[in-house]
Amino acid sequence: MRTTGRIIQYVVILIAIIVVMVIVAASIGPAGISIKDTAGIIVSYVPGLNMLVDRHVFDPGDIVVISQIRLPRIFMAIMVGIALAGAGVIFQGLFRNPMADPFVIGVSAGGAFGAAIGLLFNFGISVLDISFTTIFALAGALGTTFLVYSISITRGKVSVITLLLSGIALSSMLSAMTSFAMIFRVNDLDRVVFWLMGGLTAASWYKLAIITPFILVLVVTGSFYMRDLNIISLGDERATQLGVRTDQVKKILLVLASFIAALAVSVSGIIGFVGLITPHILRLIVGPDHKILYPTAAISGGILLLASDTIARTILMPREIPVGIITSIVGVPFFLYLLKKSKRQLP
Amino acid sequence: MKKPTGRKILTVRNLSYSYNQHPVLDDMSFDIEEGSFTSILGPNGAGKSTLINVLSKVLHDFEGRITIQGNDITGLDSGQMARMVAVVPQYTVPGFAFTVEEMVIMGRFSHFSRFKSIGNRDLEIVHEVMEKTSVAGFADRRFDELSGGEKQRVVIAQALAQDSPLLLLDEPTSHLDINFQIEFINLFLKLNREENKTIIGVFHDINLAIQNSGRIILLKEGRIFASGSTGEIINRQNLRSVFHSDVFVGKNPITGKLYISPVFDTSYSPALQGDRKKKGVSRIHVIGGGGAASPIISLLSRHGYRVSCGVVNTFDTDLATAQMLEIPYVTEAPFSPVSDDSRDKNLKFIRSSDVVILPPVEFGHGNFSNLLSVKDALELGKKVMIMDAKDIESRDHTGGKATELYKKLKETGAITVNSSGELLDKLG
Repeated sequence: MRTTGRIIQYVVILIAIIVVMVIVAASIGPAGISIKDTAGIIVSYVPGLNMLVDRHVFDPGDIVVISQIRLPRIFMAIMVGIALAGAGVIFQGLFRNPMADPFVIGVSAGGAFGAAIGLLFNFGISVLDISFTTIFALAGALGTTFLVYSISITRGKVSVITLLLSGIALSSMLSAMTSFAMIFRVNDLDRVVFWLMGGLTAASWYKLAIITPFILVLVVTGSFYMRDLNIISLGDERATQLGVRTDQVKKILLVLASFIAALAVSVSGIIGFVGLITPHILRLIVGPDHKILYPTAAISGGILLLASDTIARTILMPREIPVGIITSIVGVPFFLYLLKKSKRQLP
Repeated sequence: MKKPTGRKILTVRNLSYSYNQHPVLDDMSFDIEEGSFTSILGPNGAGKSTLINVLSKVLHDFEGRITIQGNDITGLDSGQMARMVAVVPQYTVPGFAFTVEEMVIMGRFSHFSRFKSIGNRDLEIVHEVMEKTSVAGFADRRFDELSGGEKQRVVIAQALAQDSPLLLLDEPTSHLDINFQIEFINLFLKLNREENKTIIGVFHDINLAIQNSGRIILLKEGRIFASGSTGEIINRQNLRSVFHSDVFVGKNPITGKLYISPVFDTSYSPALQGDRKKKGVSRIHVIGGGGAASPIISLLSRHGYRVSCGVVNTFDTDLATAQMLEIPYVTEAPFSPVSDDSRDKNLKFIRSSDVVILPPVEFGHGNFSNLLSVKDALELGKKVMIMDAKDIESRDHTGGKATELYKKLKETGAITVNSSGELLDKLG
């Protein structure tokens, strides 16, 4: 059908862009590796294509840099970007508010508090080789979401306004508690601050292997509810009249989006604006239909974060800056430009 | 109006609904016949919109039993409900800038499978309903950029795309201009007649409802106050009991249908009436006939005087006015001369009045005795005021008898006034 056709068309284009970007991003860095060599090394790892290239012709040092340092980080950027933008689309749709982002109901503040506890009171333990900070951040993010959610549910119905307000209130309290915790460990302050700014420096294949299936399954599950989300944006009452199981679908989508955002926060800290801006940029290009918007925005989130992270780790080489700074400084002006230029204005 | 089949599409039994322990719907029972057009009327807070929300299961924690096409709705999920009941709401505000076509496609939601994309049959229906509601011409325009009337057309298309036998209207035209109100009412009537849609509508405008529906359900404080055909339900007593305001119920001379119009009674106040009593003039008797008394009795009763009227014939406009204003009157059989009995009753009113007013009534042999009653009033020492707006010779059909007596009345103490303003001044 027309919609499916359009989705496939966009997705093919976006994936082509990602493939090119992966190769370009992998070749950029302190150790200069040519695009050709980079492409060759990457192809040599792709199942089915690996017979095309003989890995031994490349410099062993380059192989290690690309396969063990740059690629995990690149794919982590893509996964986190997909997660943030996907969750952003769902939250904006549910709240019928273009100002909503994945952190709106306290995921970031909860994650930050958990991470701060983990970082400051380093218990020196890890589970399955995942650092305590990550686990604490995930627990904090999910715990906060659950708390906000249970506050705003009455008689089986989720009140969006209560959700928003209790999210804001709880976020403020958690930020204060994070600051309070930091007072006790002034010497470790920089680590917390760096975490709060968001970054992908800790990426590894192992982390990626754990997080990718969760993010992909949750994001793909969400895609089956996008027709419902279109109608929910007309209001709960109208959605019910048109046949949507509004209460049930809202709960499913809230849980999905919160989990997706919590996973992203737990591995990358707080990377702002990707979840807010990507849905907007895509809405201006593909329109507001969530069936098309959701997959395209998710993939574009990956592209945007990959581009930002590449800039973040190379612009002040050999120093790295937190990617959250780049997403905001580069993403916002671009978004404002589109907003001004576009004929397809927001309502 | 298409003749209903007699089969019941919707039955409601002992329906109650409370919001925060406050009863909104209270023990309602009614049936809706397939193919009928029913209007639900009642003041704000009577429970009209709540009833629509319960019937469409937007509110599901009600008490009682509702069946649609024989199915108890408590057992139906929202998809099944949406295939049987479509609602046209008052407003629709989408959170995003959807196009007209995207909006209409949303109406097909309950026919979709979650894992399938939209089918050809769905698209056919979508285009069909867009033609029917004249929105096909701007299918690609953005919904939020349309005018109020165009938006409502799209929302009607959305509801029609549900392809449901029952259509609920929740004040669908209350914020639109008259041209759109007429357009939509005609559209609903057409859907009712030609596609056998059963329609239940909540209308703010009573006239809009009674022009079109075959049946009226009148709600008051969450209960059914009255229900039945337009002729049975729309009358002054019912409307006053339910809406607490006075209306005039008439018949449209062109369509033969009923219409109502409000009686604006702004100058009336009980305080004013007390004032009149202090000044000593409170009871006034007005001689009626041929409609000449109507403006005067309505003016006087608005100004707080207690007015009576007589003697008038049964089909006289003055009688209708007296009945509408609920003032006492003396009436005579149609086209008959005033009987002695009626004259006596009239004199009784005159005796208990402070003032008797004679409007510019046409006099014939039949009502000459009314003029005699005025003479009696003078002799009883009542203050008599004659409205001399029209020359007596021109309205004398008694061959001079009336003119003679009229002049004599003026000579023997009746006060002449030329306008209603002067009348009020002289009454004090």
